[in-house]
Amino acid sequence: MSRQTENLKQTTTRLACAVGVGAVLLGLVGPWASAHTQPNEHEAPAPRVSRGDAESVRQSTGEIGRRIARASPGDTLIISAGIYREHLRIDKPLIIIADGRVVIDGGGSGDIVEITSPDVTLRGFVIRNTGIDLDKENAAIRVTSPRAIIEHNTLEDILFGIDLREAPDSRVAFNHIGGKRLDTARRGDGLRLWRSDRSVVEGNTIHDGRDAILWYSKGIVVRDNTGYDCRYGLHLMFSDDVTITGNEFSRNSVGIYLMYSTGVEIVGNRLLRNRGPSGYGIGLKETDQFSVRDNLIVGNRSGVYIDGSPFTDKRPGEFTRNTIAYNDIGFTFLPSARGNELTENNFIDNIDQVAVAGRGSLEANRFWKGERGNFWSDYTGYDQNGDGIGDFIHESQTLFENMMDKEPKLRLFLFSPAQQAIEFVGRAVPAVRPEAKFIDEVPLMAPAPLLNNVSEASVSAGVAALGLAMSGAGAAIVIGGRGVCPFISLLTLARERRAARRPVGALP
Amino acid sequence: MIIMHGVTKRFRRIAAVDNVSMTLDAGDSVALWGPNGAGKSTLIRCLLGLHRHKGVITVNGHNARSHGKRARASIGYVPQEIGFYDDLVVGEAIRHFGRLRGIRRTDIDGTLERVGLPGQLAKRVRDLSGGMKQRLALAIALLGDPPILVLDEVTASLDACGREEFMSFLGQLSGAGRTMLFASHRIDEIAALAKRVAVMESGRLTAVMDVASFASSHGVGSFVHLAIPERTRPRAMCVLSEGGFEPRLNGVGIIVPVRTDQKAAPIALLARASITVDDFEIISRATADAHAPIHGPT
Amino acid sequence: MQTTVSLTSPLSRPPHTLVTVAWIGVRELKDAIGTRWFTLYTLAFAALGLGVSFVSASGSGGSGLSGFGRTSAGLINLVLLVVPLMALSAGAASIASDRERGMLAYLLAQPVTPVELLLGKFVGLAVALLACILLGLGLCAMVVGFKGGALNASSIAWLAGLSFLLALGMLGTGMLISVVTRRASVATGTAVFIWLVLVFGTDLALMAGTLTFRLRIEELFALSLINPLQVFKMWSLHAIDSTLDVLGPAALYAVEEHGESLHAIFGLCLSAWILAPLTLACVLFSRKGVS
Repeated sequence: MSRQTENLKQTTTRLACAVGVGAVLLGLVGPWASAHTQPNEHEAPAPRVSRGDAESVRQSTGEIGRRIARASPGDTLIISAGIYREHLRIDKPLIIIADGRVVIDGGGSGDIVEITSPDVTLRGFVIRNTGIDLDKENAAIRVTSPRAIIEHNTLEDILFGIDLREAPDSRVAFNHIGGKRLDTARRGDGLRLWRSDRSVVEGNTIHDGRDAILWYSKGIVVRDNTGYDCRYGLHLMFSDDVTITGNEFSRNSVGIYLMYSTGVEIVGNRLLRNRGPSGYGIGLKETDQFSVRDNLIVGNRSGVYIDGSPFTDKRPGEFTRNTIAYNDIGFTFLPSARGNELTENNFIDNIDQVAVAGRGSLEANRFWKGERGNFWSDYTGYDQNGDGIGDFIHESQTLFENMMDKEPKLRLFLFSPAQQAIEFVGRAVPAVRPEAKFIDEVPLMAPAPLLNNVSEASVSAGVAALGLAMSGAGAAIVIGGRGVCPFISLLTLARERRAARRPVGALP
Repeated sequence: MIIMHGVTKRFRRIAAVDNVSMTLDAGDSVALWGPNGAGKSTLIRCLLGLHRHKGVITVNGHNARSHGKRARASIGYVPQEIGFYDDLVVGEAIRHFGRLRGIRRTDIDGTLERVGLPGQLAKRVRDLSGGMKQRLALAIALLGDPPILVLDEVTASLDACGREEFMSFLGQLSGAGRTMLFASHRIDEIAALAKRVAVMESGRLTAVMDVASFASSHGVGSFVHLAIPERTRPRAMCVLSEGGFEPRLNGVGIIVPVRTDQKAAPIALLARASITVDDFEIISRATADAHAPIHGPT
Repeated sequence: MQTTVSLTSPLSRPPHTLVTVAWIGVRELKDAIGTRWFTLYTLAFAALGLGVSFVSASGSGGSGLSGFGRTSAGLINLVLLVVPLMALSAGAASIASDRERGMLAYLLAQPVTPVELLLGKFVGLAVALLACILLGLGLCAMVVGFKGGALNASSIAWLAGLSFLLALGMLGTGMLISVVTRRASVATGTAVFIWLVLVFGTDLALMAGTLTFRLRIEELFALSLINPLQVFKMWSLHAIDSTLDVLGPAALYAVEEHGESLHAIFGLCLSAWILAPLTLACVLFSRKGVS
């Protein structure tokens, strides 16, 4: 197959994908929209024939509670579809499963489900409408005993979502947690674990909350969750030995923020466009013995922010094979950050690839190890012997970056010719040339392959078409300036019609 | 058609035009006569609304300054030398100015034929000779047949041959009911085209007379037009002035007004000063008479 | 060949102002496209833009990641350098060179008012500049599109539109220079000087001010609005992916404080830069006339 047809095929496939994505989006948005246009279930409890489960929609108060009260420990309760206005307290080990759409409505007050017994399973419910008392921390589900299993529930319009208090060995999986759309300051945490060691948080979607936060919890696995439009996508406080893999945190103020935690693995996560006032993709504060690998960190205010980490010198901070692209700052090091090793990362088009805040230096951190450096999109050297490693060291030393690191206000002049003038001066005049911020002795010539590509990328057919149209319009102006002449003539004609005619003046 | 009242134009402290009042009726043809710097061109520019000035100028009922566009729509203007759109093709230049005059479809062929430039419409303006350029300017001035024609030293930059030709066109145009105002310091042109002469001196209008009395009062017999190589011209000017003549430079040589019985005197004078005279030409009142009859007083 | 009988309209009624402006604009456009500066600037703009696009597309290693990056930054930078220079010098040459060639008096002796002449030239040159911008950025967009770069269609459209607004402002400024100077060479020199001031001078001065006077961020933001180039830059960043906050604390303050009205603020600033010089040029030109 010729290259052209292949290209064409690619383009067609992309278009098809785009159409497919569009269809899926419509599919997602459609029900949401229709759910909002339908009359509220509160006001119209009467059977509605149009709904598939119309006959089973029923209203009750206290029915689940009565069934819990009647049940023996170890029983399984199947709750049939309907809207239940009640606040539950599950005080014996039970398996409670929703059959169809079971809504538990808190009526806008207090907590909704409280689990005080160990070994409770709660699966498949829609739990909505908590109170908004931030002091009492009104939660949709509060667990105060070990080994709870909270799965496949949908939490809507809630202040706190799932609150595990001293509930070790629990499992919170595949829940959808959507907070109340309040001001950031009035929101509660979508997910909170407090002294709940060895729990698993998996496949949940959390949005419009404050944080998903782990307090004093050891050995937690946080896997394949999605968090967006929150304050902190994931926040660790004094939580050791946590594994964070395959999550996606986007549009939060901060993606993942680790504080005072030891032994954290952050692997294969996607941190996109976290642009709050601090806006870190991954922030590390006094965190120790951590490893950050294979993450995709794109479009954040600062891709990675390192403050006082690693906290001890037991193990160097490991950053390997991450792709850090299009962030305002790729890596921000505070002066207190020392002992980090960056290898095989892709630094792509960050405005400031690596910044040192204040008057610190990067001496205590390494940007290569053995033969493994990083890929820098601003590397200017070449690779003559073809070993994939640049023949010259990569050293970052631009005067303007240096000035910006010291006086952040000067960022206002980014991308201006004045900035380039300053950088030119910095290059030309040795006296003002700043010291190299850091050195990578073995820079990679090509980026390490990405593990997970970003879906928002690679729209190119449209851009190319626009480009073609623009150039075409420009060329049309150049070639056919006269195209407008007849139009202007028409204007004149109208006046001529109105004016009285006069014979052509003949020569004498 | 044209009414000027108390027109005054000052550049800094010097009055280029000083309190000029004059009225031109339809069909009138007035020559502005006077030495260089007398204010002829400035007065014309005031008329065209190109200068802020004191006093009032009304053209075809429109104030030249406040309703300049209306006023200028009645005026066809030929400058001393046109300097426009060198890269433009003649036909396109004509069409452009036609459009500015609100003529939707300009008859380019006819227009060119009218001024004796048939078939030149594909030529670039740059490639035209001086005389042809002036005829193009005239063609443009005649677009839409304006009732007023204003000419500013139109032949000053032409050689003798070009001037002859150009004058013959102008001669045909006058008297077609068109009002004409033109600046000139060539008596033969004035005699050929004007009905009245307005004499200007240092910005003032010193006299307005009919062309016959002008001819008699300025009855210098003839002019000798001397073709002298450019580098010796300044010296020739000195020699002639010292010899009692009043020589004038024009684009291609020196013009010396002489009494009819002294036509050879300037040449002899120059010969004695060892200045080469390449060629000479006598322009007498008789030559002027041959072109057109002198109009009687109006 | 046209051999029709001429249709002449009564001359007491010259064409409507809009028609006159349009015809002068058409003439100016055709003239401008034929000139050397237009060809040179268009080629330079397109070539530099292509360079920027190629370099940044290969810089991302073909990863296909999208986001605000060096392509946009490079293009904005390019526009900041080239477009004002182009527009300023085109505007500066417009009236002054006509005056020097003696053509101005001839044009104004036609049924054309000075304001019509000025506006006509403005329109014609504006369209010529638009063509230049469309060609340059269009080629860049094609490269970005085919090579899988970091800009989406709406960003490019925004960039082109804002570049055009910037060009209009600089064109008006150039024409103002042209009206007040007597000689074409002086006009061009002044234009280049103004360009230097706008491109480097004001920014460097403001930077120095920031460092020495410890300007507060709101003062810094307000002062930066004076420079149309800064406004263009900030507006571009705000419009493209709304990443104005890239520009640090002062910009962050602007986003927090003004938020939605930022478009209006930037729009007002650029409009002022378009309208004020042009209006002033019109007033001066019609008062001054040919002399």
